[in-house]
Formats: sequence, structure tokens, C-alpha cells
Amino acid sequence: MLRATTAFAMAATIVAAFWLYHQSYEVRRLESHVTAEERRLERLQSEVAVLQAERAFLTRPARIEPLARLMGLRPATPDQLAIVKPADRR
Amino acid sequence: MTHFGSNDPRTRLRLVAAGVALAFAAVGVQLVRIAALPRQEARIAILEAVPQALPRPDIVDRRGRLLATDVMAPSLFADPWMVVDPGDTADRLVALFPDLDARELRRSLADRTRRFVWIKRGLSPRIAQVVHDLGLPGLGFRNEPRRTYPGVRLAGHVIGTVGTENQGLAGIERRIDAERGPDGARARDPGPPLRLTLDLGVQHGLEAELSDAMTRYRAAGAAGVVLDAETGEVLALASLPAVDPARLSESLDPARADKVTGGVYELGSIFKMVTVAMALDHKLAGLETVLDVRVPLTAGRWQIRDSHPAGRPLTVRDVFIQSSNVGAGMLALETGPLRQRAFLDRLGLTAAMRTEAGPVAPPKMPKSWGRAETITIAYGHGLAVAPLQFAAAAASLVNGGYAVTPTLVADPGPPAPRTRVVAATTSQAIRELMRRNVTAPKGTGRRAEVAGLDIGGKTGTAELPGRGGYDESAVISSFLAAFPMSAPRHVVLLSLFEPKPTAETGGQIAAGATAAPAAGRLVARIAPLLLAQ
Repeated sequence: MLRATTAFAMAATIVAAFWLYHQSYEVRRLESHVTAEERRLERLQSEVAVLQAERAFLTRPARIEPLARLMGLRPATPDQLAIVKPADRR
Repeated sequence: MTHFGSNDPRTRLRLVAAGVALAFAAVGVQLVRIAALPRQEARIAILEAVPQALPRPDIVDRRGRLLATDVMAPSLFADPWMVVDPGDTADRLVALFPDLDARELRRSLADRTRRFVWIKRGLSPRIAQVVHDLGLPGLGFRNEPRRTYPGVRLAGHVIGTVGTENQGLAGIERRIDAERGPDGARARDPGPPLRLTLDLGVQHGLEAELSDAMTRYRAAGAAGVVLDAETGEVLALASLPAVDPARLSESLDPARADKVTGGVYELGSIFKMVTVAMALDHKLAGLETVLDVRVPLTAGRWQIRDSHPAGRPLTVRDVFIQSSNVGAGMLALETGPLRQRAFLDRLGLTAAMRTEAGPVAPPKMPKSWGRAETITIAYGHGLAVAPLQFAAAAASLVNGGYAVTPTLVADPGPPAPRTRVVAATTSQAIRELMRRNVTAPKGTGRRAEVAGLDIGGKTGTAELPGRGGYDESAVISSFLAAFPMSAPRHVVLLSLFEPKPTAETGGQIAAGATAAPAAGRLVARIAPLLLAQ
């Protein structure tokens, strides 16, 4: 009787040990996965920052103006505008 | 009798051996698994405190367009413990970065007590690759936020500059650090972007027109500011030559100092706006009051006369439009030095001013305030103020008479309560005079006229103080404009420093021939951006 119980207990211990190890390694695996994802996020955020800076650099007025003039555009003049309703002065 | 296992010792032994073998096999399997999995993390533990650049919030214009941002850039460091040959390493690095100090570098690389030494901060990825390819042991890279200014020199003076550790050193950049405090500056999260009152389009228009005016009139420098006449919001502020916030040397160059907030100047006849407003506000004169400007004024051994004498008595209206020094002096004498001083105090022209970008150069007051000073201040000499401070005072004269404080950071809060500084009727009269000064055939500001826009303004030509007195050929030509004149929404001050006579100006350097037409072109350019919203 006792032999059967002991054998069962040993088997359970071994299974539990394996399960525990497995979980432990699974946690580590997930942790490293999280870290990798965080790094990826950081990299993407930094890429976004670079792209935004690049867009601002490429659309800076000092660059757009000569290009626009080359295309025959020019700044709007006041006579192209009509004041619809003059603001009331207090 | 109880038994454990068989009585046969051999069976027992086998059983134990199998258990042990199983356990070892399990360990073995795990070892293989661990070894087979790629190691995801490799961390360097550095015990030495590392000075590191921390992220800063972006700076954007009033419509959210980017003016300053952080991008990650590799910085090169060395671990002297791991450096095999400090001499050779130093030589090869200096060959790549000639600005490094070879002796200093060799010394720090040979210092085995240290585990971390910065060599070069904020490299471009291409240069970082070149260093990497040298294959020198003991060198490494760390990514750090590095400040970049996509507009290059656009609004450089307002933005300011940062140091190697991304700490704010001047302008708005410095204010960001002051606002965040030492703890905030150490935070990993830079926080939301800081929104300025500047408008990128208007700022560029101002810079382009100032640069054009500098070329046209061969001026040594130019400065301009565009203010919202009601709120004091600065829509554009520029001083040429400009600075690139990414180059510290430019920010430190005195020739590139900000003339709008960082310098004080005697601005000349644009001050007559203040003098006439003062006389009207004290009800000492009306627009039609006649002054005999034929007799020069005397103050001690000085004689004040008009550069283009009218040869007849002038009304206050004509004193303004023809810019008579004698007339302005007479109005100031009538008011008296005490009330003159009090009026300038009320307009904020005598007290030190601050903006979010730092203190404005404080006004330079006369040593004593006698008869001579009363007269000269009436036409803008003897009291030197920063152009921004004058523009704010002028805004309060045209906006119905309410005090204006220039501001650079957009504030979504409710508008501050308004304080009256001059009577509404005074403001109305000044608006009429400014408009007439542009439309009248004899008006000094007639070259500032812009078709389709109700623009008004006042010219000012101030001689720069030179050796032993004033220099007639070196002047600051300014134009103070507001539009639309019936209910001004914006005030513009444009100053040209030391313009030279050219064929275009008919050999003149006075503001009527230089600053006025430049201001007209500027307003024609920016008005559609400002009014069509």
C-alpha cells in the first residue's frame, strides 16, 4: 500500500517539478518577448520622430518658397481678399 | 513486515540508478534548450554615473507645426578597461574627428580607474558606422535624444539653444527647463509639446522681407516683430543676421544678438506717436491746435530744429504727418517732464520687461530729466528701449487704449482682464493720424501704402550715437505699422540698421524711403495669412 503511495508521490513531484520549470522558462521567454516588443516600439517611436522632423525639414517655408515660385505661384496679395464684415471696435 | 522496494539489493540499485539517470536526462534536456534558444538580452552594467541627455518636449508653432524636436542619435563612448592600445585608439579617433583634443583623449583612454568616458555626442548614423568599422576594442555607442531644428534658422532667436546634455541654455529652450524644474528635467517622459504664439508662415514672411530689405538698402542688420494688437501675442519675431539654434557659436556671436529683445535703441520719430497721444490724452491739445514750429527750440547750448522745416505754423495733425521735431518738443514741454515720465511709465516704456524667452534688455533712461531730455524724448532720442517694448506700447495706443504685454507661449486660458492706459478717443485720434500719414501726399509713410488694405503707420529715422555725438550717415530707420487701421488687429515694427543710400531710394536713408516701403511689402505679404483665417 505504502509503496503505491510513495511511487505516486514521487511521480507527482517529478511532474510538478517539470511543470514548474516549464512555467519558469515560459515566463522568461515571455519576458524577453516583452522586452523585444518594447524595443521595437521604442525603435518605431524614434523612427516616427525622425520622419516627423524630416517632414518638417522638407516642408520648411525656406525650401517651399523657391519651389512654389518656380511653379509660377506667388504670395497672396491683400486685393485678392475682401473683408466681409469689419470687426467692431469697442 | 514493511518493505521498501525489493529485498534484492540489485533491484534496488537499478531502481536508484534509473531515477538518477532520469533526473540527469531532464537537466540535460533543459541545458540543450537553453543553449539552443538565442539570448535575447545583453546588458552592460556600468557602475560609473553616466551623464546622459534626456528627452525634451517638442516646440510647435500656434498651429502645431514643428519647430524643435528630439531624434535619437548614437553617441560614442569608451570603456578604458577594455581599450587595448590607448595611443593608437586616440590617434585613429582624432583622424576621424579633428575637433577632438588628442592629448586629452589619450589621457582619458589610458585612465584604467574609469569604466566610462564620453568621446563624441550625437553622431550621424553614417559616422557611427565608420567608427564601428574601425573595429577598435573598448568603444561603444549609446543612443541619446538629440535636439534638432527642422526650420534651421527659422525663429532661431526665439527658440534659443541647448547644450550637449540637451539642457536648455537660452530662449524658449531655457524656459522649458525652468518650468519643468530639476525633477521634471530628469523625467524620461518629455511631456506634451510646447505651443508658441508664433505662426510659421508669418515668421517666414517676416524673415524673407527683412532679408530682402537688407539687400535692397545694403543694411547691416534688420529687426521686426508682428504683434496681435489686442492680446500681445507675438506672431513673428526676427532679427537678422539670424542664428541657427543647433550652432552654439552663432547664439554666442554678438553680431547675431537679438535686436528685438536683446538691444535698446533710440528709435527716433516713431516716438512722436507717444508724444502726440500724451498731449491729446492730457487734453492739452487737439488735432487742429496750431503750433508755431518756425522758431527752433533751445535747451542749454543745444538747438532743436526740423530737418525739413515747414516754414509755417503747423497743426498737431501736421506735426505728426510731417514729423516735426520742434512741434513734438513743444507738446512735451507743454505736458512737462513729470507727466511725460508718468505717461511713459503707464505705457510700460520705462520698466524692465520679460517674455517667456527671458528678460528684455531694460530701457536706458536719461541721467536727469530736464528740459533738454523732455524735448529729445518727445522725438525719440535720449530714451533707448528694446523694439519689442516699443511695439507693445504702440499696440496699446492703437487698440482702443488697453495695456499690451507681449507673450510668446500660447495660453489656452481665458484672456487676462484689460487695463486702460489711454482714453478711447486718444486711441481713435492716433489711428486717424497713422492712416493719414500713409494716405496724405506729404505723409512720411506714404510709401508704405498697400492697395486694398487699411494700413497706417509712423516713420522714425534715428541717428546712431557715434564717437563724440550722433553720426548722420549711420541711422536706424524704423516703421511702426498697424492694420486694418479702422480696428487694428496687428501691429508691425520693422527696423533697418545702418541702411545705405541707393538708386532705388533716391540716395536717401530716411525711414520714409527705406523702412516704410519695406514695411508695406511685409504687410502686403503677411496680411493675407493673418486676416484670412
